[in-house]
Amino acid sequence: MKSMPRWSFAAFLFILAAGLFGPLLFANGPQSTVAKPFAPPAWMGGEAPPPLSASLSPEQPSLSIDWKWTAPENISIRGTVLFDDSPANASLVWKTPDGKTFILGSFSGSGEWSVDIDARDVAFKTDLGVAPFQSALGLLFPSQGNIRISIEGTSPSSGSLDVTVPGGKWGLLGTDQRGRDVLSLFIAGIRVSLLVGIAATLLASLLGLSIGLASGYLGGVIDSLIMRAVDVLLSIPVLPILMVIVGIWGKGLWQLILILGLFSWMGTARTVRSLALTLRETGYVENLRSIGASPFYILYRHLLPEVLPVLLATISLGVPGAILAEAGLSFLGLSDPRVISWGRMLHEAHGFGAFTAGAWWLILPPGLGISIICLVFLDMGRAIEEMADPRLLKGGRR
Amino acid sequence: MRSYWARRAAGAVLVLLLVIAANFFLFRIMPGDAVSSIVDPRFSPEAKERMRELFGLDLPLHSQFFIYVRRMLTFDFGLSFLSQRPVWDEIRSRIPNTIALLGSALLLSSVIGTWLGVHAARKRGGFVEKLVLISGSVSFSFPSFFVQLVLLLLFAYTFPVFPLRGTVSIPMPQGTLNLVLDYIMHMVLPAGSLVLLGFGSWAIYVRNLMVKTLGKDFILLARAKGLSEERILWNHAFRSALPPVLTIFLLALPGIVSGAVITETVFSLHGVGKFLLDSILGHDYPAAGAAFYILGLLTIFSNLVADAAYSIADPRIRVGRRAER
Amino acid sequence: MISIRNLSITYETSARSVPAVRDVSLNIPAGKITAIVGESGGGKSSLVYGVLRLLPPEASLSGSILYGGLDVVSASDARVRDFRWEKAALVTQGAMNSLTPVISVGKQIAEVLEVRMGMKRREAADRVGELLEMTGLPAGIARRYPHELSGGQKQRVVIAMAMACSPDFILADEPTSALDVITQAEVIRTLAGMVREKGMGLLLVTHDLPLAASICDRLAVMHRGQIVETGSPRDILDFPSHPHTRALLSAYKVLGGGLS
Repeated sequence: MKSMPRWSFAAFLFILAAGLFGPLLFANGPQSTVAKPFAPPAWMGGEAPPPLSASLSPEQPSLSIDWKWTAPENISIRGTVLFDDSPANASLVWKTPDGKTFILGSFSGSGEWSVDIDARDVAFKTDLGVAPFQSALGLLFPSQGNIRISIEGTSPSSGSLDVTVPGGKWGLLGTDQRGRDVLSLFIAGIRVSLLVGIAATLLASLLGLSIGLASGYLGGVIDSLIMRAVDVLLSIPVLPILMVIVGIWGKGLWQLILILGLFSWMGTARTVRSLALTLRETGYVENLRSIGASPFYILYRHLLPEVLPVLLATISLGVPGAILAEAGLSFLGLSDPRVISWGRMLHEAHGFGAFTAGAWWLILPPGLGISIICLVFLDMGRAIEEMADPRLLKGGRR
Repeated sequence: MRSYWARRAAGAVLVLLLVIAANFFLFRIMPGDAVSSIVDPRFSPEAKERMRELFGLDLPLHSQFFIYVRRMLTFDFGLSFLSQRPVWDEIRSRIPNTIALLGSALLLSSVIGTWLGVHAARKRGGFVEKLVLISGSVSFSFPSFFVQLVLLLLFAYTFPVFPLRGTVSIPMPQGTLNLVLDYIMHMVLPAGSLVLLGFGSWAIYVRNLMVKTLGKDFILLARAKGLSEERILWNHAFRSALPPVLTIFLLALPGIVSGAVITETVFSLHGVGKFLLDSILGHDYPAAGAAFYILGLLTIFSNLVADAAYSIADPRIRVGRRAER
Repeated sequence: MISIRNLSITYETSARSVPAVRDVSLNIPAGKITAIVGESGGGKSSLVYGVLRLLPPEASLSGSILYGGLDVVSASDARVRDFRWEKAALVTQGAMNSLTPVISVGKQIAEVLEVRMGMKRREAADRVGELLEMTGLPAGIARRYPHELSGGQKQRVVIAMAMACSPDFILADEPTSALDVITQAEVIRTLAGMVREKGMGLLLVTHDLPLAASICDRLAVMHRGQIVETGSPRDILDFPSHPHTRALLSAYKVLGGGLS
């Protein structure tokens, strides 16, 4: 059987590229609100209206919206226009399909007119004559048909007013509890998983390598002390320790990487130690020592190159552990709330009522993302392991 | 045999001391000095004074440590900052839930995983083996909370078969039988999800060990003896593979206890793990330390149980080496 | 008598097929000691395990192995299982891993008695003691586990186990090769003695030509999967006709082994 190029290497490069360049594909940052909370993905939204945004400007003093849905959750009109000719006298007029007109705001004087209308504001409702507990949107969108928004009176000379109607459905993966784009959040989360996974594992491997080499090469009391420590550390549940440390020490990303690294070197140390021991027993290290090679030289020039491929495999196989630990801590709410990560997304989905909204799109993407990234690293690790030790290929471990 | 137990017991005591020491020092490296951070501003001056005495905060560090060890060993954890009640009272009511969750999940996943693993090894390349290999890689790479959230979404929201959260319904059902049934209904999803996540890795380990064992000479001799396949599989192969299976189980134990924290959080179970998280998030340090300690104790205890099982399963430990081969 | 007719055994791997036994015909008479000698990898072991149909799934058998009305090659699993041990028992390299490590040796012998002979537990335990004593071991060893026994003791346990059902034949595959020379001689003497006393047939497979020649009634030389020479040990030692036999003999002469 010939070993074929593994799918996981290609997948890893793709994930890396998506993590590095993916966020550039989105005009707005992942933190910005794009639609109503828990909006389903556009392709399954059905009757819900898509998000709308348009501008009123000197070039386009009136907008016409062909409204084919029930009233939306909200509408906002924000912006500033300037009038050169003083004195100006202008008003913002809303005309419903059944012919009623509302004056949403008016301006007289000169200079700058700032508009900040949110249909949920009580002041706005009172102006329209709606009780504070009722929605003004039924009045503004009474039926399907053509809605006209225009600036009447004096024409502004520059500036624009942005009209935004948040949609009832959004994009490929809908929105979260704050109306943020889940796809954008998902892409942004790749970075954290990769960064934490790789950085923490590198740190752990470096620690494991040096401790394992020291243990295997020096032997004796140091060896048995180190191995005893490894046994003890391996028999304590790590997650509670991490929780306590993170809870006390802080939730920053770099702290997390450091903590994860400090608590996951044990496996590598064991592997490296046993490898160093077998290499020592092959006798050539003995020969080197007898011709006067220094321990450092032997470690560096002879043991390290032998151990390196195995170490590479250990790193790749260790990344999923770090990713899962990071995701677990974030899921428990023990991560920096400002940093978007897949675990954090699941935490918010769990904590902010994704279930009552039936919002599967908040749960599946981050969860599958974590799983796939873990599978990719596991498969890469196995591939490297087989390359480093061709016996595994023939032996048919699986 | 005796030296084996002496070593194991010494190991357990060492881990116990380490857990206590970790606890002791972790909660002393908190920002601010020990007094101001341990003594919560919400306490009355008398309570503060009582706590000072209790913690022995004026004494030198090593005496503080001895006092701390004694308090831990006697389950005297002080008052919770959040509830102002003794921490031990809070935890005591949660231990049964955690043990019920982990115990039932472990029992089921080991039985299912063992059965599947043995049969996967018996028929290489068959359906069972494929199932085992797939479920194994699932349990290695899918985050537990993700699988649990999906199960929750499916069976508590889309098809509301099981309750969404907690251990008892509100209002509480009447009668002992109904209470027990209600408790079981609340436990099905949490424990079931742990089984779903756990049986795969269990099955893979058992399969790998069984494949190795079935290739041994003594299996050939057992077959030559004209024994039935079932008998060879269980009495000879599985019993021989059991000690290493238990070793791996021992290594997996800390991870299983870690899993309790996440599972209890997902399903809002009234357990020790959820208590630990809530205490950490609420900066309730005495409670967090106690919950951490109890989880450590739980691990040490199950370690000893697994050790005992190991020593029964492996005659090389049970009767020692009277003669070298 | 077990008669092997035109038996071929081939190991089919995904890449190629390796013939281990090629068109072998051999009679194993009851009450006599037949020895097969040959170099390692010559197909001797495959032949023995083939007689009990104990080969791995990738091995394919053709030809026939006849015992009474039974053809082991084509019979049903259940009939082959009945044939095993009650008619033909196996003695393997007991010094290595032939005994299940987690079951006491007494239980492993008693298991055959209970499962195959339908004995009650007590009765079986008594019989185990007798069997062990027959092989020169104390009866108390029944309670021991394999790791507590020496290689020679384990080998005797395996022989006791083979005697348990008083089979017509004993098939021994390199029964002594992992033992030191003195133990080898003792064990082989025990085995040959018991077989003669009970009038059983023994098929002894070994690479040790002098050892085989010293106890067997008929000797067969196997080379590259084929039987190249058969005859009485005296004839073969004195007038070897096949080059491989001569090579085997000269190897022992070089090593200074006395062939008498």
